[in-house]
Amino acid sequence: MRLLRFAAGRLAGMILVLLIVSILTYAVFYLLPADPAQLSCGKPCTPQRLADARAFMGYDAPWWRQYLDFLGGIFAGRSFGSGSAVVRCAAPCFGYSFRLDAPVSTLIASHIGVTFSLAAGAAVLWLVLGVSAGTVSAVRRGSLLDRTVMTASIAGVSAPAYLVGLLGILLFGFTLDMVPVGGYVPLAENPVQWAWHLILPWCVLAFLSAALYARLTRGQMLEILGEDYIRTARAKGLGERRVIGRHALRNVLVPVVTVFGMDLGGLLGGAVITERVFSMQGLGALLMDAVGNVDLPLLVGVTLFAAFLIVLANFAVDLLYGVLDPRISL
Amino acid sequence: MRRRSVTAVLAVTAALALTACNANATPTGSASSGTARKGGTLTILTSSSSVNLDPAKSQNLAITTLGLIFRRLTTWDIKPGQEGKVVGDLAQDAGTPSDGGKTWTYKLKPNLKYADGTPITAEDVKYGVERSFAPELSGGLGYHKTLLVGGADYKGPYQGKTLDSIEVPDAQTIVFKLSKPFGDWPWIVSMPAFTPVPKAKDDVAKYGQNPVASGPYQVESYQQGTALKLKRNTNWDAATDPVRTGGPDNITFQLGQESTVVAQRLIADSGDDRDAFGASFVPPAQLAQIQANASAKQRLVTSDPGALAYLAINTTRPGLTDVKVRQAINYAVDKKAFLVAAGGTLGGDYASTLITPGIAGRAQYDLYPTPDPSGDVAKAKTLLADAGHATGLKLSFAVENDPQSLAKAQAIQQGLARAGIEVTLKPLDSDSWFDFVTNDKGDYDLTLTSWQPDYPSANANIQPLFASSEIGGGGFNLSRYSNADVDAQIEQARAEIDATAAQKQWQQIDQRILTDAPIVPLIYTRNSFLHGSGVTDFFVAAFPAYPNYLQVSLR
Amino acid sequence: MTAAASLPAGRRARWRRIAGDRWAVTGAAVVVGLLVIAAAAPLLSAVEGQDPYTYHLDALDDSGVPRGFGGGISARHWFGVEPLTGRDLFAIVVHGARTSILVGVAATALSVLLGVLVGMTAGFFGGWYDRITGRAIDVLFGFPTLILMIALGAIAPAALPKPALVVGVIGLFGWPGIARVVRGQTLALRGRTFVVASVSLGAGPLHVLVRQILPNLGATIIVYATMLIPGMIGAEAALSFLGVGVPPPTPAWGRSIGDAIAWVQTDPMFLVFPGAALFLTTLAFNLLGDGLRDALDPRTAGVAR
Repeated sequence: MRLLRFAAGRLAGMILVLLIVSILTYAVFYLLPADPAQLSCGKPCTPQRLADARAFMGYDAPWWRQYLDFLGGIFAGRSFGSGSAVVRCAAPCFGYSFRLDAPVSTLIASHIGVTFSLAAGAAVLWLVLGVSAGTVSAVRRGSLLDRTVMTASIAGVSAPAYLVGLLGILLFGFTLDMVPVGGYVPLAENPVQWAWHLILPWCVLAFLSAALYARLTRGQMLEILGEDYIRTARAKGLGERRVIGRHALRNVLVPVVTVFGMDLGGLLGGAVITERVFSMQGLGALLMDAVGNVDLPLLVGVTLFAAFLIVLANFAVDLLYGVLDPRISL
Repeated sequence: MRRRSVTAVLAVTAALALTACNANATPTGSASSGTARKGGTLTILTSSSSVNLDPAKSQNLAITTLGLIFRRLTTWDIKPGQEGKVVGDLAQDAGTPSDGGKTWTYKLKPNLKYADGTPITAEDVKYGVERSFAPELSGGLGYHKTLLVGGADYKGPYQGKTLDSIEVPDAQTIVFKLSKPFGDWPWIVSMPAFTPVPKAKDDVAKYGQNPVASGPYQVESYQQGTALKLKRNTNWDAATDPVRTGGPDNITFQLGQESTVVAQRLIADSGDDRDAFGASFVPPAQLAQIQANASAKQRLVTSDPGALAYLAINTTRPGLTDVKVRQAINYAVDKKAFLVAAGGTLGGDYASTLITPGIAGRAQYDLYPTPDPSGDVAKAKTLLADAGHATGLKLSFAVENDPQSLAKAQAIQQGLARAGIEVTLKPLDSDSWFDFVTNDKGDYDLTLTSWQPDYPSANANIQPLFASSEIGGGGFNLSRYSNADVDAQIEQARAEIDATAAQKQWQQIDQRILTDAPIVPLIYTRNSFLHGSGVTDFFVAAFPAYPNYLQVSLR
Repeated sequence: MTAAASLPAGRRARWRRIAGDRWAVTGAAVVVGLLVIAAAAPLLSAVEGQDPYTYHLDALDDSGVPRGFGGGISARHWFGVEPLTGRDLFAIVVHGARTSILVGVAATALSVLLGVLVGMTAGFFGGWYDRITGRAIDVLFGFPTLILMIALGAIAPAALPKPALVVGVIGLFGWPGIARVVRGQTLALRGRTFVVASVSLGAGPLHVLVRQILPNLGATIIVYATMLIPGMIGAEAALSFLGVGVPPPTPAWGRSIGDAIAWVQTDPMFLVFPGAALFLTTLAFNLLGDGLRDALDPRTAGVAR
């Protein structure tokens, strides 16, 4: 019951946050010094044609009016134009991209697979890699292995992702010709090719993020290994493997999961570089495309969706935190 | 705990040819010989992430993507070693003028069919043109909209109205009535809007994704951001088509490919990439890399100098209203540094005129000669001093935000700095830049661009850039140059039906405009493209300086 | 300064711990070196006889590639020259240090200021004020910040100096992390005897915040500030890499790296110098930050060593 009330409260907060994010996004991008109608006016453009295009796309109304239309579309759907050329966007309508001739929700649906594949694979890899490296490092504190892992991880934390990604492509893709240098094969089409095309981005992302997790795990592990109940467990004569695996690791995972949830949300929402570097067309690429082409509805829709993912991840983490760690009062 | 606060994107790729660049020149760059075969899958690597196949919304050249799927009334016959010609495509010829060039009549070839086997009719061509007027389908090339009688007020067929200045006396004949004589009309009807669209298949929102094909290929699948796949249209009859060879069985466009990565893949030339070519220009860094790679060098195709790259000076801004200041800028610019930034000798040739090489009737002249291409700083300083700007002239410079444009802009910036002109760059994403420089406000002093005419005529070279009607509101008169005299001369030359007489007039207009120095002509650019070793019949002809997709085959 | 009075002995021990941490000392030395380089950038390039703006087209071949070994490394150009322009790479890299460090430190200062202010007051006053700031932090975490940074860069008026804008944008998105930590610490401190006592003796909230809570947050603030700097420098580089940072021709490492990636096969040194500079800088700040945390952060101090 307590958990339920907590969840309801957080849910309400979540919706409020999304509302604010959407208003801010709308306002900021409305102020951009570019007129989407002008960009789709054609060549040569005349003032009359410009006005017609603007009216058709609904850009002739003041920004708050456009925002309200947008909100209304989510519940009631929208239609643009009139006569036999009417373009409908069924509820829930998160906007309609005239440049790509599709509702924003359709576009998000068709791009999310790439981003999700990228994020999920990398996350598994970095979580396993990071947590195990961190654990080993903590257990063998001060050893050569520990120092190597920590040096590698601080280098990983310090390296910019775009640089590592591009060097990875040049080295493994072109010079050694070992892995594909971009492109995406859907999982349903060919699972082997799917994984093969994703292997390089996974490794790059995992290398960079695992560093952070290794350091986090090591720090937490050291802290926990010093606590009483571990000493008790050891005193009881439990094997070291069991002490670490059963008792320590479980407690280390609480903060790791927190960071992980937020990272995953951020990764899904802002896979902008990775996708660009590896020529993959996920949500990040869609977003950059929208920015470059001043595709306002797409921009707002994707930004909002990304924010939704981040907020959702935070929400899940909050819940999980409450469940995993009874010391946290909800 | 530490969190990486920011992620990043690989440099936003140079937008692929929105305004395109390049004009005609003597023909160039045929691919290495070899026997072309029928069949295979050709891959085209492009940086664009979407392709809109709706003919009404397209600004495609006649010889690129849409040309593979659609036939128009006329089309461009582009071959290596000859000047580009306009020839009949669906129509039997380039058109028959009457009424002093105000009426143009076309007869369709017999037995033309769509991919679904239904016949192509003149009525469908009329409907295709009509729908290009609809605000729902704006965005395409619309030169015809102001030329056709009643076009200015027509809003498309969706409200039940037709455009009466297009007459269809029978299923094979179509007649256009223009509001004034226009000699270049055969070029106008080669544009995407003159593609037949069967009314029964029209759907404003969906037609661009699965249009009815009339050319050698039809859409197999399209996924935004990933790929456009084309397969053969078996109802296309090669015998009726003068320009398309229809070599490969399938054509795949890989979308959203970063141009540096594309160049690297083509240099590597392995696997399926052997049967691929890049649709965007090879970036300068890879041009340099290719020079050291014998195999890749063989597969690089560079056009002759064509499209004019120029620095537009906003003539309405304080300080710049003075012609002496604008002339000083003409002397101060460092064209040598600019050329290097554009890729060196493969990047182009120094420019001094508005009409570009290869356009009929061009005359070479140079109103602002300098001892060497680095400019004449002393002369610039003298002119600036005369104008009262010996020191302290500060200018803002709107520039597209990609590494290549920025490199070029900085070359200009450092050149002007030598004469004491302080230039501040304002980088903008490509579409924002386009809006920024073509809107009514014009809040910039300088900007950099290049222009390829939409058809090879001095008219298309000068009128869109310097007629006062093209200032703001989406027009491309970036200097905001307004001269009633010049406007009158342009109107007169446009109405001239005799080609030789028109050319003479355009030459005079060219020099007349540059006397006022609204721009600095920088270079006539050369475009370089790279293809895989399995690709043949790949060439970049005189005009336009883009590969002719319609004739590329696999060996 | 009641409870904090026990510090001197502990402080000396902490400094000894830092001094004993070889990596932290190395990091500190590199950081100091960088600060000197950044401050003396014009001087250093003057010693070389170059500046980061002048074109040297004679140092390039026909296709714009630097002539000679290693991207044109010579007595005249210590790090060689930039392709396509012939500008001196050494001058660009040392001037780039200025941009990076100036922006990184200024943005960090802004973030820390905001974060401490918000975190401390939220933790101290609690109630609805705490809930509102908590929500604001959620909003900031929920924003795809990069996209917003690009947009803000585009809508900012030309009159606003770009470096200030970059500092503002990065700084504004950097504070929630530190605010959360400071809030937590303040919350804990608020319950400590010396604070409770001083409140019950009638001290005003301002007095308590400034004189009693803030001094006890000092270690945390220093640690977090140091650990924030590399992130900020990285953020500035990422923005420059994207082309929305400090506009050219002002040198910036991120932009050089972005330009250099295309040239890596023809002129690898063009990537090596700015890339190494950026990597070394973030690494040095990270090492120093780690050392400081181990030595100063009360939470890990007892356990880690």
